[in-house]
Amino acid sequence: MRSLWLLTKKNLKLLIRSKSSGLVIFLAPLLIILILGLSYSSSSNYGLNIGIHADSFTEDVDSLISSLQEQEFRIIKYESDVEECIEDIKQGFIHTCVSVPQDLKVEDNQQKEITFYIDPSEINLVWMIQETLGSKFNLKSQEISKQLTGEIINQLDDTKNKVSEKSSELNQVKEKSSAASSSVTSLKENIENIDLEVPIIVYDAGIVNSFKNKLSSEVEDSINAVSNARNDVENAEIEGGNGAILNSLNDAEKNLNKLLAMVEGNNSGYGEISSLVSSLQHDLIQAQTKLMSASETMSSTSSSLDSTTASIQDSLTAMTVVQQGLEEIKSNLESQKVTEVDTIAAPLVTKIERISPESSFLNYSFPGLLVLVVMFSSLLLGTTLVMMEKNSPAFFRNYFLPLQKGTFIISTYLTNSIITIIQIVIILGVSLLFLKGNPLVMLPVAGMLLISSTVFTLMGMTIGYVFRSEETGTLASISLGSFLLFVSGLILPLESISANIRKITNFNPFVISEKVIREIFIFKAPVQTIWTDILTLLGYALILFVAIIVIDILIHKHFKERFNKHRHKENRHKEKIEKNNA
Amino acid sequence: MKLIELKGVVKRFGKVIVLDDVNLSIEEGDVIGVIGTSGSGKTTLLNLISGFLHPSSGKVLHSFHVTQGQVSMQKNLHKIKDKIGFAPQHNSFYPKLTVVENMLHFGQLYGLKKETIVNNVDSLLHATKLHHHRNKLAQHLSGGMQKRLDISCSLVHKPKILILDEPTDDLDPILQREIMSFLKEVNKQGVTLVIASHNLDLLEKICNKIAIVHNGKVKDCGLISDFRRPFLKEHFTINLNVSDNKEKILSYINNLHVSKIIDKGHHIVVYPHNAAQTISSLLNIIDEEDLYDIDIRRPSLGDIFERITMEES
Repeated sequence: MRSLWLLTKKNLKLLIRSKSSGLVIFLAPLLIILILGLSYSSSSNYGLNIGIHADSFTEDVDSLISSLQEQEFRIIKYESDVEECIEDIKQGFIHTCVSVPQDLKVEDNQQKEITFYIDPSEINLVWMIQETLGSKFNLKSQEISKQLTGEIINQLDDTKNKVSEKSSELNQVKEKSSAASSSVTSLKENIENIDLEVPIIVYDAGIVNSFKNKLSSEVEDSINAVSNARNDVENAEIEGGNGAILNSLNDAEKNLNKLLAMVEGNNSGYGEISSLVSSLQHDLIQAQTKLMSASETMSSTSSSLDSTTASIQDSLTAMTVVQQGLEEIKSNLESQKVTEVDTIAAPLVTKIERISPESSFLNYSFPGLLVLVVMFSSLLLGTTLVMMEKNSPAFFRNYFLPLQKGTFIISTYLTNSIITIIQIVIILGVSLLFLKGNPLVMLPVAGMLLISSTVFTLMGMTIGYVFRSEETGTLASISLGSFLLFVSGLILPLESISANIRKITNFNPFVISEKVIREIFIFKAPVQTIWTDILTLLGYALILFVAIIVIDILIHKHFKERFNKHRHKENRHKEKIEKNNA
Repeated sequence: MKLIELKGVVKRFGKVIVLDDVNLSIEEGDVIGVIGTSGSGKTTLLNLISGFLHPSSGKVLHSFHVTQGQVSMQKNLHKIKDKIGFAPQHNSFYPKLTVVENMLHFGQLYGLKKETIVNNVDSLLHATKLHHHRNKLAQHLSGGMQKRLDISCSLVHKPKILILDEPTDDLDPILQREIMSFLKEVNKQGVTLVIASHNLDLLEKICNKIAIVHNGKVKDCGLISDFRRPFLKEHFTINLNVSDNKEKILSYINNLHVSKIIDKGHHIVVYPHNAAQTISSLLNIIDEEDLYDIDIRRPSLGDIFERITMEES
């Protein structure tokens, strides 16, 4: 136990006495936790770049955009073509594309469809987008649903008011109808009370006799006149003779005599008429009496009917008003266009569209895994090779070789690259067994991996040049790799970290490499779409190369000084011991 | 011809002055031994000569290119690296490469033709007797072989000057002699040697010049014979092999006019002020004290060095 403790104590001492080890041991965890803390402690919302596509950006769409912007989402509008929006997802400019209808108001029974275009290879981001935006659109849907329900309730309320209002009209109709009914009843009674029996009354026939006498007198006068006329005619010299006229006058005299005979006769003509007139006179008197009575009844009935007509007229008016009210209610109810339960309950429906063909999870995570493997192997290999050279006994001899500093650095890089190429060939070769796809796609992927490995190798080499012991260098490489991995979005989505740190992580070579390889591998992106990222990586490589040369110059100087100083001290110490011994 | 010349060179590490006002000339064909106590600045001096370190002040000049005359080493180091070979105290080669791989690797990096390198490697392998081990990993060689390999690596490009720091350190006497005889051969082929070593006896055997470094200064530099001359009369040493009567003889010698007595057990070294008088006195007691072995030696390099450093102290 004691020996175990002694050994442990010795190890701790050795670690602490090496300044760089001490720094890495204590500062690396502090630094990592500090950076991760700063990165993920943000309570702000996800920093998603959302492309909104709509045929036109109406007030509704703008209001939706504003509500998304309130949550710190960065919104990019696409008015022209949804394809442009999808292309930008592939290029990583935006995280998702949401195609919304220009009008979110639900006016018919059709649900409004909102389509999300997502990149399924961004596995952890997909769920996050679905979760955050889905909830946002659910809210919007609830809002619209609430609005629709509100409209229905308002209309029902209006209907209720109108029905209450028209109910009084109906009471009036009821009263008026009741009045009309009683009027009609009264009329019926009145009509029933009319007496149509004819009373027997005797009329005066003297009038007819008087008429007969006058007529007889007149006829006799007329006969005399005709006789006088005939005499005149007979006396008169009439050219062509008076025969014809005399004949006519004779005829007229005869007829008048006949008429006189009829008026004077008892059994025919006058007698019959006289009796008839008498009976008529009698009947007429009776009819007159009854009609007088009926007239009175009718007069009172007419007045009842007038009042009934007025009541009915009032009822008709009231009925018209009620009818209008009902028409209004009907049109009010008809104005509620959304009547489908589904549409009211969920006016907005979301639809998810993948922007790449559906594949296995391995396909989606393959770019990330590739970069992960290449990053760690390159970082560690870079560090190890530099450390091997630095700690090699031959390191001192290299100072005397007529070679430029860059030659050593490039040779280390080339060694790394050869090993990395072999690794890449193996990884991609084996991957072809699991990933169904065009093997030719692997060529640009391999090229890109080589560029990525260049950056990571140079990073590893920088660590190798900075740190003194191999253990410390390895620890630093692993720490750096872990850090780059943590802020790459492979484990935790980048969009969940604070905005400022997120901006910096966009420059993370892991993020750039993974993005480019994903674009090549999944979207078959052409070079012109990824060249800026490639240039960025090459820029990193150049900067790191220059940094290594600078560090190498400083380290060489430092190494020489340290080498001699250390040796000088060692010798002084040796000398002291020798003196003491002497 | 002066290959390298140091003029008023000062070297500081921080505030510590390791070398101060060093003036030294290395001529073509010389075998210069750099001697000094531990920490005196020998290695720093070698590093300055090789160009590994640059002086804090003063100049290190070289004239490897005859037509150019003396030029600053610092400014032209990259042009003369192929003229210099350096064998540091600790071996400097790749342990995981074989003997021949190491030699070819370093040789090729000097930009020589492959044939030339192969020839050089072959001749060096034979000269260092490593040809039987040419395909062995360097880490599997013995200490002496590794030292020879290290020197071979320094010579593979045929430098004009070979600088060696403690080439015989930690080697057994046989190996030390082997190394020294090999170096002698190297020098015969026209390579100038600068050797820093604590092994003064071996240095004495192969060096024609000595530079004594003490307390950060090069005390003297010149031919060994020139060094020895001032000490010849007064700095003979008398070596006595004594038996049981050592105390008595020591008390006797103490009464003589001597500058120093070193007691080495059965062996006593006497530094007389006047060699003739001291010898005469010692001859008087040969019989009575049974002094069976007396010899007189001129001062060795060690003696001279010791005298000089003692005087300085």
